[in-house]
Amino acid sequence: MFRTILFSAVAPLLIFTTGAFAAEVETITIKTLKAQMRYDTTEFDVKPGQKVKLVFQNDDDMPHNMCFFQPGTDAIALANKQIENPDAALKRDWIPEDKSLWLHSKAVQPKTSDTLIFTAPEKPGVYPFVCTFPGHAAIMNGKMTVGEKGKRGPGLTGLKFQLYLGEWKTLPDFSKLKPHREGDVKDNLVQLKFDDYKNDFGLVFTGKLDAPKDGEYSFLIASDDGGRILIDGKMIADDDGIHPASTVREGRVKLTKGVHDFRLDYFQAAGQAELYAAWRGADFALTPLTKALHPDWKNAAKPKKKNENSGMPLVVAQEPIIYRNFISGGGNRGIGVGYPGNASIAWSAEYFGPVIAWRGAFMDAARHWNGRGGGQQLPLGFDVLRPAGETALPFAVNPTADSPWPEVPKGERAADYSWKGYDLDAKRYPTFHYEWKGSRISERFEVEGDALAGQGKLVRVLKIDGSIPAGAVMRVATGSAITPTGGGFNVTGEKLSLEGHAFDNVFQVAVEGATVSGKNLTVPLRPEIKISYSWPNLHAQHLH
Amino acid sequence: MKTLRILTGLILATATPAMLRAADPQESDYYKITTFDTPKETAFEVSSIELLPEGKLAVGTRRGEIWTVSNADSEPANVKYQLFASGQHEVLGLAFKDGWLYETNRYEVAKLKDTTGDGRADKFETVCDKWGVSGDYHEYAFGSRFDKNGDLWVLLCLTGSFTSQTEFRGWAMRVKPDGSLVPTCSGIRSPGGIGFDADGEVYYTDNQGPWRGPNNLGHLVPGSFQGHPGGNKWYEKAPNMGRRPVDPIPEAFQNGRKRGDHAPHTDPDRIEFERKRIKELVPPAVCLVYGKIGNSSSFIVCDLSGGKFGPFEKQLFVADQSHSNIARVFLEEVNGVKQGGVFPFLKGFKSGLIGGRMNEKGQLFAGGSDRGWGAKGGQPFSFERVDWTGKVPFEVHAMHAKPDGFDVTFTEPVDAKTAGNVASYTARQFTYAYREEYGGPEVDEVFPKITKATVAADGKSVRLTFDKLIQGDIHEVHFDGVRSADGKPVLHPVGYFTLNEIPAK
Repeated sequence: MFRTILFSAVAPLLIFTTGAFAAEVETITIKTLKAQMRYDTTEFDVKPGQKVKLVFQNDDDMPHNMCFFQPGTDAIALANKQIENPDAALKRDWIPEDKSLWLHSKAVQPKTSDTLIFTAPEKPGVYPFVCTFPGHAAIMNGKMTVGEKGKRGPGLTGLKFQLYLGEWKTLPDFSKLKPHREGDVKDNLVQLKFDDYKNDFGLVFTGKLDAPKDGEYSFLIASDDGGRILIDGKMIADDDGIHPASTVREGRVKLTKGVHDFRLDYFQAAGQAELYAAWRGADFALTPLTKALHPDWKNAAKPKKKNENSGMPLVVAQEPIIYRNFISGGGNRGIGVGYPGNASIAWSAEYFGPVIAWRGAFMDAARHWNGRGGGQQLPLGFDVLRPAGETALPFAVNPTADSPWPEVPKGERAADYSWKGYDLDAKRYPTFHYEWKGSRISERFEVEGDALAGQGKLVRVLKIDGSIPAGAVMRVATGSAITPTGGGFNVTGEKLSLEGHAFDNVFQVAVEGATVSGKNLTVPLRPEIKISYSWPNLHAQHLH
Repeated sequence: MKTLRILTGLILATATPAMLRAADPQESDYYKITTFDTPKETAFEVSSIELLPEGKLAVGTRRGEIWTVSNADSEPANVKYQLFASGQHEVLGLAFKDGWLYETNRYEVAKLKDTTGDGRADKFETVCDKWGVSGDYHEYAFGSRFDKNGDLWVLLCLTGSFTSQTEFRGWAMRVKPDGSLVPTCSGIRSPGGIGFDADGEVYYTDNQGPWRGPNNLGHLVPGSFQGHPGGNKWYEKAPNMGRRPVDPIPEAFQNGRKRGDHAPHTDPDRIEFERKRIKELVPPAVCLVYGKIGNSSSFIVCDLSGGKFGPFEKQLFVADQSHSNIARVFLEEVNGVKQGGVFPFLKGFKSGLIGGRMNEKGQLFAGGSDRGWGAKGGQPFSFERVDWTGKVPFEVHAMHAKPDGFDVTFTEPVDAKTAGNVASYTARQFTYAYREEYGGPEVDEVFPKITKATVAADGKSVRLTFDKLIQGDIHEVHFDGVRSADGKPVLHPVGYFTLNEIPAK
């Protein structure tokens, strides 16, 4: 009976049953964002014991789910772990078999929805939720906070600023100075960006704070350079002097319920300029008063804020996606290509080959498409391979088992090679072109099968025109152990580390006419060479 | 009848404030900015614009996309977008020639073509990739259109905008038709745009920083040194450039003075003095006075529309990312050196301007983004068009240096009484230190006297005589008291003339 009524509920709705029982039902709608592999809401709060109707609406072009886990669970790792046994996971619709799983939707097909009716746990805490489809959880995740703990306090109102110009080593008495400029702060968040002053300026912020009830409140400040917080004219938290903003200063004050005067003084001498302030009450969590959030306050109740380095996945559909940018492990002239079939490469226009390959999702562009665009970005998928070295070139003439393979010192260019560009065929698959010692080489990749399933392969075909130098061979793989297996070789490559993430670099390679020579698997250069790389399904190495 | 009366009433009600404004001309009376809607699926962070056949545009973006835009010269509702290419690394230069669209991305010039007719490029042929990249995000490469010799220019920002970690960072290079890369000018710091004047001479904008007091417009004379010595180690790989120039003095404070202490015109760390010692040093043609003209100079567009963009034919329009505005520059050559003045021109663009181009109809297309570098515009990205309304603003048209002052021409006849009165003008001279430290204040401030203001017979120009001109200084001139013959004030009454050379006559 109760369930039936809830299905038609519109929030907030009071439901009366006999016995004068009343329960307020909270309706929450969470949607997926089209082609972004994200939930539109990543954090929401519910009270313990709250009746909740959660509508999960999938607006994306691929199926997704929502799985909630017990507090403290590494839900992303748990979801990713399923790739170790994909066949079984597939049968479960990618719903993990784990006792920490608290609640889950069904696999929701594109443009449909699922409604979950539940009573929030009595136990307060943060309940993570993720989409457990392979490769999704790393960016498709969020948190449900149960309890008053995560509640945000009130923010500032009527915030004004006064900007002063001057050189100080400690906070001056701003009341004796004439402001250079003053005005309202529209978003009521203390912030540093007014005009273009970078050095030698001061700011005074004044506004109102409404204490929800009588009690003790904490004020926190961390500033570079000096800052202090005054409540009702009394200094509560002091971080004066020239210093970085690494230490957070905290002061406490008893406030009566109602509106109080807030004032924050700040000055900047030179160098870095940062300012963070927040307050905390008996019944609400740390609540920032500044636009910027101190690194220590990551877990604070905060306005929903996107992580600027994730959340813009480039999702491969029918056509490959090209992404030329700073890809970790891809070199300075890397061309990222995400292929249908769940495998990707970074092809290097300075080392002339797939310097890394991986499976799962392709790339997250957020690091480069937010902010200035700097920084190396890890692949979004997993099991990153480096089949034939980092700065090694593909070809050598009459190498011996002991001779070092030709490499390009970092920062230099390969003398005998020239990069000619690429073209896209009717299916928008790129073919890369380059030249070496009179040979014109073109190189194309595609995925046979699904790289997430056991039989998937990344197939690389080289076509070589022109004169091939006598004794020329190509290195298709390198590793400490290269052992023949049915139709190919198992390769244990050199472990690689990208941005602190380690990868075993173990893979399989198949190519006709290959021979093992020392640490190298080589083939004589010929007009056409077809190589396939595949991942053993032993385990998955995740990035996140 | 009733409806008509209501309409008349509305017109009257709105007419009053409009008439009040008419007495006080505004930029929008003369130049109209039209903001285009852009494709919803992307952030249209315009970083370069090129004209294509049939009135189309190619627009490159910071996300590495290139869009073909149709009908941008007509009503905004008619504009159509077609994604031509994607996945390129910050497209900061586009040039069209013989059916190919040349793009300058982070590490190469490539030529792109759609050979199948589906509107999307399928050939990406590398033309030249011979300069160095280190993986530092600030190593931007700005590409030009084809110059009068058929070459493309590429400006290579310093590593992190401070040092030169890879080959030819801090240089202007030319890409010849055969794909070879020719080192052409050293001394570049952090460029923001490149363009040509009406004679095909090449200019670029550079931004405030070490060895750059203000942003400036530099004249890219082949073989020249543009002032920042950070990339000069590459002279050893540029035999065509001759010997490495002597280094500028890092910083000079004579007689134990501290920075900021006043000692006008004695410190040797001035472009004016150093260019006598460093013969390759070409002084900035125009200082784009920091904080007043802009903070982050970007594209350069020359008005070659033959008057369709108003009275400033053949002048340069220089944009600013931070101020989301466009300034106007006129140039002259004295003793073989370019110099000229800059006036504010048009503000109010929706985001930080980066890419711009004018078509033959005199329509100026401009766009950009505020990503990573804030901009006054307030929007994260924008794509806009400027049209001249057909009304001529009362402006200083140009200034030309004379041995004892300036010849100032106006866009409209002046009121002889105000224009002939020295009290209608004020002037200020200052410069910037040329030193290793980042940027720097205006120094050596002097207030010259304007001793004569003589209106010429044509009624459109005024000869201003100064008690003293200072070679190398920026001459800031205010025209607050000047009125046009029909009583209008000067729309932008202050300009800044960089006086590299004082003519003999």
